[in-house]
Amino acid sequence: MKKIISLLLVAILVIGMMSSLAGCNKGGSQTAPDIEDNPEALASFDTTKPVTITFYHQMGAALQNILNTAIEDFNKVYPNITVVHKTYGDYDGVRDQIKTEISVGDQPNLAYCYPDHVALYNVAGAVQSLDALIGNTATITRPYFQSEIDKMMLDNDSAPEGEKLTEAELQAKIDAGVTEPLGFTAGQIADFIPAYYNEGMAYGDGKMYTLPISKSTEVLYYNKTFFDKHGLKVPTTWDELEAVCRQIKQIDSTCIPLGYDSESNWFITMCEQYGSEYTSVDGENFRFDNETNRNFIKRFQGWYAEKLVTTEKLSGGYTSALFTGENDAGTRCYMCIGSTGGATYQQPTQTNGVFEFEVGINSIPQVNPAAPKVISQGPSICIFKDADPQEVMASWLFAKFLTTDVTFQASVSMNNGYAPVIQSVTENPVYADFLAGYSTSNIQAYAVKVALEQADAYYVSPAFNGSSVARDQVGLLMQKCMALETSDLDGAIKKAFEDAIAECKYQAGQ
Amino acid sequence: MVDSKHQWKAWLYLSPAIVLLLIFTVWPIFNTIRMSLLEGYTTMREVAGASFNFGIGNFTRVLEYPKFLTCLKNTVLLCVLTVPISTFLALLIAVALNSIKPLQRLLQTVFFMPYVTNSIAIGMVFAAMFNMILGGSARPDSVGIVNNVLEFFGIPYVNWMNAGSEYWANIVVMVVYIVWNALPFKILILLGGLQSVNKQYYEAARVDSTPRWRVFTKITIPLLSPMLAYVIITGFIGGFKEYSSIVGVFGDSMGPVGNDDALNTMVGFIYRAIGNQEGTASAAALILFGIIFVVTMINLYVSKKKTHY
Amino acid sequence: MSEFKTMKAKDLQKTTAQQRVIKVLVQILTYTFLSVMALIIIFPFYWMIISSLKEMPEYRQSVPTLIPRVFDFMNYLEVFTNDDLLLGQLFLNTVYVGVVSTALSLVITVLSAFAFARLEFKGKNALFGALLATMMIPGELFTITNYQTVHSFGWIETYTVLIIPFLVSVFYIYLLRQNFLQIPNELYLAAKVDGTSDLKYLWKVMIPLALPTIISITILKMMGSWNSYMWPRLVANDDAHRLITNGLRTAFTNAEGVTDVPVQMAAVTVVSFPLFLVFIFLRKYIMKGVSRSGIKG
Repeated sequence: MKKIISLLLVAILVIGMMSSLAGCNKGGSQTAPDIEDNPEALASFDTTKPVTITFYHQMGAALQNILNTAIEDFNKVYPNITVVHKTYGDYDGVRDQIKTEISVGDQPNLAYCYPDHVALYNVAGAVQSLDALIGNTATITRPYFQSEIDKMMLDNDSAPEGEKLTEAELQAKIDAGVTEPLGFTAGQIADFIPAYYNEGMAYGDGKMYTLPISKSTEVLYYNKTFFDKHGLKVPTTWDELEAVCRQIKQIDSTCIPLGYDSESNWFITMCEQYGSEYTSVDGENFRFDNETNRNFIKRFQGWYAEKLVTTEKLSGGYTSALFTGENDAGTRCYMCIGSTGGATYQQPTQTNGVFEFEVGINSIPQVNPAAPKVISQGPSICIFKDADPQEVMASWLFAKFLTTDVTFQASVSMNNGYAPVIQSVTENPVYADFLAGYSTSNIQAYAVKVALEQADAYYVSPAFNGSSVARDQVGLLMQKCMALETSDLDGAIKKAFEDAIAECKYQAGQ
Repeated sequence: MVDSKHQWKAWLYLSPAIVLLLIFTVWPIFNTIRMSLLEGYTTMREVAGASFNFGIGNFTRVLEYPKFLTCLKNTVLLCVLTVPISTFLALLIAVALNSIKPLQRLLQTVFFMPYVTNSIAIGMVFAAMFNMILGGSARPDSVGIVNNVLEFFGIPYVNWMNAGSEYWANIVVMVVYIVWNALPFKILILLGGLQSVNKQYYEAARVDSTPRWRVFTKITIPLLSPMLAYVIITGFIGGFKEYSSIVGVFGDSMGPVGNDDALNTMVGFIYRAIGNQEGTASAAALILFGIIFVVTMINLYVSKKKTHY
Repeated sequence: MSEFKTMKAKDLQKTTAQQRVIKVLVQILTYTFLSVMALIIIFPFYWMIISSLKEMPEYRQSVPTLIPRVFDFMNYLEVFTNDDLLLGQLFLNTVYVGVVSTALSLVITVLSAFAFARLEFKGKNALFGALLATMMIPGELFTITNYQTVHSFGWIETYTVLIIPFLVSVFYIYLLRQNFLQIPNELYLAAKVDGTSDLKYLWKVMIPLALPTIISITILKMMGSWNSYMWPRLVANDDAHRLITNGLRTAFTNAEGVTDVPVQMAAVTVVSFPLFLVFIFLRKYIMKGVSRSGIKG
């Protein structure tokens, strides 16, 4: 037995040393060229040469149907581009797949992404920066997209009598197609909701890496029937919220007035609202251990102890279930702060087609209502470097189409309660109708409407390799602190913050 | 007795297995060893062409992790608790299933059902059994099926896995879950093994009217011992790699709310490091390998003495 | 035994009466024990069935119901009418991969287990020890390396990549070796004297005797193919090769990213049904035992 063990150990050591030395010379060759160094490729796109691009995402069946329709529209204009798309179930699945594929230099052309994914891929230098593609002034002449044709026809219908084109004139104009820059026009850039667009530049090197696809945010759902009946005012600040919670407790002593879905979002948003530090791309990454942050956590701990607030994790069940009252005779929440992407779950139970109560939706409470801050979440799209510039150009055109096509943007939003990333979508009559029909029964429209109205309030968190660790850790930190039951609260909170920072650093490999 | 003709044949029979193992198991192991000895190694940095120092930095990094001992303790504790319990229960069930006459087919079929049950369903059941909703309040919305049963017998309910739950309760939940998960496989193996036990021994015992318990300990166990050894040894090897069951119950935080990582294990640690610190993950995997290797050696030593072939 | 001989007839009668009582008690205990364990074991299966019959809002309740309020068979209808799902294709892919990899895996496992259990060769113990050792390293780290290997072989998006890499399981080789070791060596030596070849002996004696375990391995390997998820998604996530578990994971996810679990469970139940029938059929062979094969120990 001894012989076997010692033989094994020697074998491990020898092999380890050999392969380690061999490994030092590996790598480097797998990074594909950057299209920014290739002005020739940027100057034109060959619409006759067939090209296949692959696109990874997390979409389920319903969203894939919308995507397939969009690809059909795209192919009417660019029939030479074949888009192969695959789902990897969730965002982590997409990230792990691409990371593995990057290791053999065979990554897809495009992917749905979150900022920390892009930071990870960028360690390998795999992501194509978009600045040259966005600013590309070389032009292309192409047929109109269906959504553009629809808009031209609508505009023509509503044009003043003298300026109206005849059907034949309009058709001729449509047939002539359009000549436009391969990059974005100034108008197209201005059409993006600024905070969404700026997220693509949150990587600390001044470059743009992603385009936004669709975004959700947090809103305050409240039981309007209950609020109206008792003459309660919907809170706009945290102080008002605390007061309202106490009032509600007077009315229904067994309730927990507020449910908050995500502790991570709560922490990060509070940092933004107070202007206190959370994370940074340069120098010390993890900066959330400061007095302001410890103080707001302590305040929320008090609220939790008083049963003014609970969260999904702390309560052990969906906070939306407490809000909608689906657990018969269970504890109730009268307010719930949750994602617009899950709006339908805030819909109260129905009996014979009548909702148990009316829902109202507002922006979340603020520290300073004059300078509001709310979170934005949801996928962006990134392009990977590729040896074939034609593939990069085709990918860019597809990404540009998905982010600027009104039909695609509108249909995604109308189905999942995410907000579109371009403002012109609201001019689309179908989408305008959707928004105008907001109500308890059309709660997604209601949520998106509120999300669009607070477009100035979105902030962008720094993105770096490990930024998702910080996000997870502050959520856990918040849970831990809120659940504290100790006489030395300050000491326990201080310790929890220190532990969280240490854990962040360890997990980020620092 | 060893002749060269046999040698040649043995290697021929083994060749498909050896070739495939060399490519898909041994080669990745070499790569794991390589990654563990390159300090600060990550796949993404290697693709970018970074060079790494050769050394044991990854190993010291694993040992320096403040929660390393927690991970190790949980791994060992869960393994030591669940392997004997599940093996013993599986043995009892297998022997009982083998000994009955009426309803035998029906009951056997029931014990096969886990093989046609989707794993998603298992996770959902567990939440229904142990999860409490608003357990901290005076009037919980739900206390879970297990607590309902306790209440029925007049025992006050326990916070098994929610915010504020205690370590021992968490461990009980995990032991139940792991044993539950392991049972179908072990029953299947032992039931199969029992069929290979020659019935003549039992007939001889019946003629002698030997008491049941003695038949069990003197005939069944010894004759089944190769399979029992297998179930125990592989149980320990698998038990030291416990991870997914904890995620199944507690989620990625690997512990109850407010006490994350309280139940984290070695493979849990490896999983987390794999995303972004492959070097550290490899080092942790090799450390775990060392532990399992020693335990298995002890197991084999004991089983050699006790097993009857 | 000598004590029994000296017993008086009266005592003997008492003993048999006592034994009978004990026997009945043991029977009751056995059945109670088996019933309780059966209930516990079957609970997830029960949960899968009732979940497949619930309506989505009821399923979403944080306080779950043990019996569906309304039995919603529409979930099953939806599985069969979902055009995007390609259920037939997923099913055939999985059956193909499952059957081929199980068959090949059995051949490799039987040959290896036989070599380890019955043949003598230099380095046998060291090799077996090394094989066991490979089981002890957490396999999570192998994924990237194995991906790189199959990528360099050009196997991405083929059936080969779904079948070959995990054909060998030390776990099963070890299991079958143990089972072979249960079979008395005298049989083998007798066969040698008779001049029976190794393979014939393996086929005529060892395999029939170890059939219950071989069937168990078949079931485990089949289930492995049915449930495998991470590797197939990594290497062959295209329509032509996608396996059932992958296909069902996102097929019932709505635009909000929420999966309609009741319909998903209905689909899982539907695709598990053929598997269930196969297992019921195989169960018979697991329980057949050796006594009928007429081999002397």
